[in-house]
Order: sequence, then structure tokens, then C-alpha cells
Amino acid sequence: MEKVNQLHNKNNIKWKNIVDKTTKTFFLLSTLISASFIIVIVVFIAQKGIIPFISDNDGLGSVNVFKFLTQRVWLDGPTFVSSLYGVGYIIINTLYIAFLSLLIAMPIGVLTALFIAKIAPKNLAGLLRTVIELLAAIPSIIYGLVGFAVILPFIYNLAKGFGVQTAGGTTVLATVLVLSIMILPTVTALSEVAIRSVSKEIELGSLALGATQTQTNFKVVLSSAKSGIFTSAILGVGRALGEATAVSLVAGNARSGPSFGFFDTTATLTSTMLQGLKETIGLDYDIRFSVGIVLMVVILITNGTLNFMKRKVGNVDVE
Amino acid sequence: MKKILFMALTVLITLSLAACGGTSEEDWDSSSNIQVYTRDTSSGTRSGFMSGIDFGEAEADDSVLVDGFVIKDNTGILSSMATDEFGIGYISLASLDNTVKGLSFEGVEPNIANVINNTYGLKRPINYVIRDLDDYANDTEKEITLAFIAFLETSDGADIITNKGAVPLTSTETWDDISDQYSVCDADNTGVIIKFGGSDSIQKIAEALTADFAPRCGNFTPEHDHTGSSDGYKRTQGSEKDGDNYKHVGFASRPFKNTEVGTVGTQGQLAWDAIVAIVHLNNEVDNVTAEELKKIYSGEYTTWNELLD
Repeated sequence: MEKVNQLHNKNNIKWKNIVDKTTKTFFLLSTLISASFIIVIVVFIAQKGIIPFISDNDGLGSVNVFKFLTQRVWLDGPTFVSSLYGVGYIIINTLYIAFLSLLIAMPIGVLTALFIAKIAPKNLAGLLRTVIELLAAIPSIIYGLVGFAVILPFIYNLAKGFGVQTAGGTTVLATVLVLSIMILPTVTALSEVAIRSVSKEIELGSLALGATQTQTNFKVVLSSAKSGIFTSAILGVGRALGEATAVSLVAGNARSGPSFGFFDTTATLTSTMLQGLKETIGLDYDIRFSVGIVLMVVILITNGTLNFMKRKVGNVDVE
Repeated sequence: MKKILFMALTVLITLSLAACGGTSEEDWDSSSNIQVYTRDTSSGTRSGFMSGIDFGEAEADDSVLVDGFVIKDNTGILSSMATDEFGIGYISLASLDNTVKGLSFEGVEPNIANVINNTYGLKRPINYVIRDLDDYANDTEKEITLAFIAFLETSDGADIITNKGAVPLTSTETWDDISDQYSVCDADNTGVIIKFGGSDSIQKIAEALTADFAPRCGNFTPEHDHTGSSDGYKRTQGSEKDGDNYKHVGFASRPFKNTEVGTVGTQGQLAWDAIVAIVHLNNEVDNVTAEELKKIYSGEYTTWNELLD
């Protein structure tokens, strides 16, 4: 009997080992697949995007990299004739718009998060959390349509009130508004998690020292959650930089710039890529992949900078 | 905290009220600047419009346009004109609805009747040309080509053309009425390749037509290679008709030139591509000329006053 049991155990252990190994291989495989997609995407975009710079583009001449990165008009000369493309002003526009959107979305998002995590009664907090999650799940084209149908006329009339004539509301301001609405749920949801994970002891310590709840919330809880709030900003900026559909509906796709005035039309890297993509051919098509490379580099640099800043300010320290 | 919330709520309410309040009707101020809207340089409507107002250099070149123009697609321009009282744009006639004002061109109202009776000027013909009737590799190819041309003039063909935004010529018969005359379509034509080419701006129309027609005619294989209007004649009856790029059917989105006259019964028109300049309903302008449109798009006219004077 004893022997049988031992044998059984042995078999069991062997079997467990096999299962363990299989799962491990399986996990490794799926990791490899998802990781390889990144490589495939980067290689594909880079491969297509580099063509305008190294080939002579069917006689149009190769695109000058320096001019491409600094020029203040999208295309100098006629399409299909000229190769003088440029995205200099668009890079500036894109960063400017992302920065402004964050400027609006961060305070609102963080304060909302604070309200949900610390102030609201439990039932209300649960409800609000669901609402935020729903907002985050709305596809960008819906935001674009809302921007198109509601925000554009609103901006048009607002500008008219100021005596400024806008192009039907397609402005920097409209783009910033749409984007800040879009990144608000991301910012709120992540900040809320960060605020909730601040340990109760720190908060109680502050209260015990005689600080009011509001003082504690702003000076202790928020500064302890800094790191998480920064993460929400990073993801928010990522969405703002990468959004194409909604932006191209409200930006006006300016072909020169940069545009800093709130009531000027503008263009972002993504909206420029999208414009005419389905209709055009040759260099005018390939160049959009080059813009894609620029976009990826811009996002990498922005995220790198924000991550660096996060490490600088991110430690939980309660003064 | 309650105070902050209350303030935030107040701001929100004020904003939404402002949004509603702004839409009130006011007198249209003709001293305002003209806001120009255009399609992207890759758009066929843009090249049709620019050549129609004699501003050909703007077909593919943004830099000759007035500063501050806005690029949108067909629907984008249409809905912008519902908001922007001082904007002007152009769309294909098929998209025109009563949310905007379609401007008369050279005194002629933009509607389908005026396009078909050839009085409305801002349009271009969509023509076809086929190979000379004695110049086919075999009878099957010839018969299918002729059947396709006949199909273009049926109401089934007209429906497809309308769906793609162009204006077909008047047609009374359906394909079923005339299919008896084209016995080739009863046979199995799998593997027979018919080549289509010419104008690239009407490629979508041509592809929709062949996609619908191939199953009606023995499932022949349509091959599309659209490279420009000039190649329509050149590759069917012109210098490249026997080359590797030869075509059975060529299209041209402009009238055929004197040098492009083919043999009898090989050329014709299938539709009009009509474009209409549109403005906001409040706009006092009702009629424009080609010259005025060119002056607007090139930036010579910057306010509506200059147009009304």
C-alpha cells in the first residue's frame, strides 16, 4: 500500500512538473508574440518611412531630413511635383496642444479623483468610479463627433462674442478642449487609484497633528500620491499625442504654422497623417509613414522626460 | 471643499448657457473676412473644382491658395458651412442639402436638371472610350466590352453612378430589358480579363460599375489600372494601344481633345461630375462666377463686401 502511494506521489510530482513547464513555455510564447508585434510595427513604419529620404521618389528627388524636421509649411510646391515636405511646425503644434490639454485635464482630473477617493460617500464614489470607467471606454470617434457637433459651434460663437472670426470653430482651443475631455478619464482613474493607495497611517498622523481634513487631503494625501499622479499624466499625454480621429475633425488641418493663438486653425502629427491617406499615392503617401516615425520619436522623448521628472519628484516624502 | 464644488458647478452651468445663447440670429455682416474651405490635394473634387474655375495651378498646390484656408473632407465642409456664416467651400452636387446654401454658378442654379441639360457650368464630363471595333484579341472580349458600354446607359448603371456621387445621363431601360441582346453574358466568362484604365479620379465609380457588372456577365475578371485621363485614349486607340498597358475601356474625366477622336461608336459620355460652391444660409451672396471664385481662393478677395460690390 505504502509503495503504491509513493508511486502515486512520484507520478503526481512528475505530472505537476510537466504542467509547470508547459505553462511556462506557453507564457513565454505569448510574451514573445506580443513583444514581437512592437518590433514588427517599428520595423514596418521605419522601413516605409525612410523611403522618402533615401530614394529619389520616382524623379521628385529625395526629401531633405533637416528641412523636413524644421520647415514651417507642410509642402512647398504642388503635390506629386515637389518633395519639399516639412513637419517642423506640426511637431511644435502637437506638443503645444498636448501640453495645454494636460494643463486643463490634470487639475480637474486630480481633484475629481480626490473627491471620489476621500470625500464622496461610498455609494456615490462607486457610482462615479463607474461613470469614469465608462467615459474611458468611449471610442475616440464619438468624442470627435461631440467635438464636431457641439464644441465647434460653441467655440465659433464664443469667438464671435470676442469679435474674432474663426473657421467654423476649428481652432486650437477646440482641439485642446476635445483632447482634455478625452484624457480626463485616464487621469482621473489612475490618480484615484494612486490616492486610494496612500496609507491610512500617514493620513491619520496628519489629522492627529491637528491638520484639518482639507489640509491633509491637499498637503499630505496628494503629495504622497505624486508618483501615481505623474503616471496618470504620462498616460494622458500619450493619449493626447496619439489621438488622430477626433483631432482631425476639429483641428482644421493647417498646412503652415506653428499656430499658438487659441482661435487659429492647427494641425497635429496624427491629423496630418490621416488627411487624404486613403486617396493619395506615391511620395505623398510614403511621407505619412515618415511623419509616423517622427510621432513615435516625439512620444518616446516626451515619455522619457516625464518618467525622468517622475523619478525626481516621485518619492513618498511627507514634510 | 463644498465651496470649490459649488464654484465648479457654477462655471459649468455658465458655460453651457453660453453655448445655447450664442446661436441667436443676427444680421449677416458683409464686411467680415471670407473663410476659405478646401479639399485635400489628393481629392478628385478639388481638381474638378479648381480646373472648373480656371485655377488649375491650385489643383495640387496648397501654396497658391489664400492664407488661413481649412482642409476638410466632403462632409466636413458641408457641416462647417452650417456653422460658419462667413465660410465658403465646395462639395460634389450629390451631397448638397438644405442645411447650406448652394450658390448659382454664372447665373445657373445648381441642380441635377441643369447639369443634365448642360447649362450648369461647374462640372466636368466623365467620358469613356473603347478599342476600335476591329481591334480585339477575340470576339468574347469585344462582346463583353460592348455589353459593358450598354450597361453604362441602363438605370442599373445610373444607380451605381449616383451612389458614387456623380450625375448619370438620363436612362430609361434596366439591364434586364436589354440583356437579351448580349448573349455573351449568358456564357461562362470566368478567366476572361477585361482591362479598364484612364482617369484616376473616377476610379471608384469605374470599380463600382465593374464589380456590379461582372456577375451579370459571366463573371469575367475586370482589371483596373487608372493612371490619368490622357491614358484613356492613348491605351485604347492611341500610341500605346498595342503595348503592355493596353486597355479595353479607358475613361477621361474631361472632354476628349481634338487629337483623341476615336472611330465611330467607340466614345461616349456616362456621367457628369458636378461640383457646387456652398455658403452659410445667412450669406447674402446667391450667385458667383468662375472669376469670383478664383479671386476668393487665390486671396484677391478677402471680405464678402468685395464680392457684393
